[in-house]
Amino acid sequence: MRFVEEFRDADLGRVLAGEILAAADPARHYKLMEVCGGHTHSIYKYGIDDLLPENVELVHGPGCPVCVIPMGRVDDGIAVARHEEVIFTCFGDMMRVPGSEQSLLEAKAEGADVRMVYSPLDALRLAKANPDREVVFFAIGFETTAPSTALTLKRARAEGVENFSCICNHVTIVPPLRALLDSPDLRLDGFVGPGHVCTVVGARPFEFIPADYGKPVVISGFEPLDVLQSVLMILDQLRDERRAVENQYTRVVPYEGNLRALEVMAEVFELRPHFEWRGLGFISQSALKLSEAYADLDAERRFATPGVRVADPKACQCGEVLKGVIKPWECKVFGTACTPEHAIGTCMVSPEGACAAYYNYGRFARQREVA
Amino acid sequence: MDGSTPHCDHTTGCVTCGDEATEMTVLDLDPERGLALCTDAEGARSSVETALVEPVAAGERLLVHAGTAIGRAAPREAAA
Repeated sequence: MRFVEEFRDADLGRVLAGEILAAADPARHYKLMEVCGGHTHSIYKYGIDDLLPENVELVHGPGCPVCVIPMGRVDDGIAVARHEEVIFTCFGDMMRVPGSEQSLLEAKAEGADVRMVYSPLDALRLAKANPDREVVFFAIGFETTAPSTALTLKRARAEGVENFSCICNHVTIVPPLRALLDSPDLRLDGFVGPGHVCTVVGARPFEFIPADYGKPVVISGFEPLDVLQSVLMILDQLRDERRAVENQYTRVVPYEGNLRALEVMAEVFELRPHFEWRGLGFISQSALKLSEAYADLDAERRFATPGVRVADPKACQCGEVLKGVIKPWECKVFGTACTPEHAIGTCMVSPEGACAAYYNYGRFARQREVA
Repeated sequence: MDGSTPHCDHTTGCVTCGDEATEMTVLDLDPERGLALCTDAEGARSSVETALVEPVAAGERLLVHAGTAIGRAAPREAAA
């Protein structure tokens, strides 16, 4: 594990925890949101929240792409997957996300040809290897994943692969953050910014948060020391009454992002007027669809999809978890009706989902605490 | 696909779904196809699309997500 060990050093972690304790005003309660599901996973996996003082609380944000996909989109995917000529491809966790009647994995068990891929390029390779079939790629993810889909569509076009198409569910991170900041039921003091999204989009899109809402943002790496240092940098800003976007993750994130990736995305995608987010509702200009220039590779045009909005199950409180309003264990069905083996809500599906991350790691610490 | 599939196993969690990228080191280049053979910290190898970070050279460290390099990672000395 070269290159990462130095960011997992327990002694340095304790030093940082001491500095955080010193920087936090004991008379104040801090609520910091980690935007990205990758951070949520690290926080529970390494017990980072146990190192923080009681008055520094981390709340989980909407940055797990699997968690925010609404049921209706899963149903659309399944409808396409059921076509006999279709090989339907998607990433691993997506296969288990519940639709209104079943998941893609269950559709596969009933005979649909659903296959897991690691990269959209793998789906394109499948299309080239199976010229008599229609290969559809179910694209999900924030700006971290969207460039890969865009490049794959460009390759499909350049190589004349006509039996390849894409259902685009890519989402963008800034609009839901703005929606959260405008939400009356949530008071936040600062944000741990999404390091890998920022590799693509840069830091600039987050400048509105300190400018318009007076909250600090620190773009963070994913190792335990990265997250601890980012929390300290946020507390330093608050103590010094500064508000800015700062970059803790300079070893990877350039402030301006990856301009070539942004250009490719601008060519292949355009913003949807609005898109539904699980738990957050419809948010304007928060997702991408294929641009007119790539419309012939759009599976939603190639195949009929139901396009029906499906309400979340009543028992499921993913919405409140995604907004940081409640903790995973405060959901009525957490760990009982809803587990990673049988998920009702999306937050229990991906290990980056707040509920699954807490179920896998955090609940043990809480059991010790209660005992 | 063979080498990379274990990274996307729904029993242990899919890194792509998690929107989390991986730092990898370039071992060899295939300029004709715009690909690089890369290895991660645990020694797993995969083919990576390099169009967004060209030019790249063997030994460089890339940030890779869903089979595509989306950025560069600083050399170890600079990062430490």
